[in-house]
Amino acid sequence: MAGKIVADTLEHSTAGSVDTQFVVNGSAKSWANFTGTGTIALTDSFNVASLSDEGTGEYETNFTNSMSNGDFAIHVTSDANTSNDGFNRTAGGSNNTTAKGHARHYESGSITDTSLMITTVHGDLA
Amino acid sequence: MSTILVNTLTGTGTAGSIAVTGEGNSTTTNLQQGLAKAWLSATSTVSFYDSFNFSSGTDHGTGDYSYSLTNAYATRTGYSQAGAVYTSAGGSTITRNSSRDAAGTVAMEVTNAAGTAADASKNVMTHGDLA
Repeated sequence: MAGKIVADTLEHSTAGSVDTQFVVNGSAKSWANFTGTGTIALTDSFNVASLSDEGTGEYETNFTNSMSNGDFAIHVTSDANTSNDGFNRTAGGSNNTTAKGHARHYESGSITDTSLMITTVHGDLA
Repeated sequence: MSTILVNTLTGTGTAGSIAVTGEGNSTTTNLQQGLAKAWLSATSTVSFYDSFNFSSGTDHGTGDYSYSLTNAYATRTGYSQAGAVYTSAGGSTITRNSSRDAAGTVAMEVTNAAGTAADASKNVMTHGDLA
């Protein structure tokens, strides 16, 4: 049987308590692990309906449930196991909207496709 | 104001799936999927400042670290990873190391602004499906 509990605090018997605002605001609203070379493809994800290939090294994760605005935090990382390990750079957020997160990958200063991209989003759902 | 005293939250329809109403009150987000399943703040060697769901770490060489999870993920590719290098020097990067990671192991490499492997304190968090 499904149910709904309305509460401001969760308290564990030994581990302490947490205000439920931290559960709502602190939970990642989306994350994605995807292949960024060739035909890009999700390996696993949460709240991601699809990916968009925006050109070399540039990707967008399209949300199933939208964010309330484009000012959310997006964290991006990539695979280190390449010939240019030390020169990998990732960036995100420049073209975020309520419906998508934006990420780029660079190697040696040039925007480049990468075999593994990972994004994590925190912020407010619409 | 209300407080629920509880040690375990379990979904009624699906044990590992609980919906939480989002900030805008129009959609729900999944409690289990949104929770960080493991995070660490660790020194430039390998020891923890603080951590959650990690049991130990291994220093594989300069800037090359891996940490064992107490409770592992379901698969190696089924979790995301984000991190930051804890340093006052700009240009450092932290990346996931797919040659060492596993369902039960989170691995990362740290480089300095010159692109050279470097030891540094770091913060890492992961999200995904636990086994």
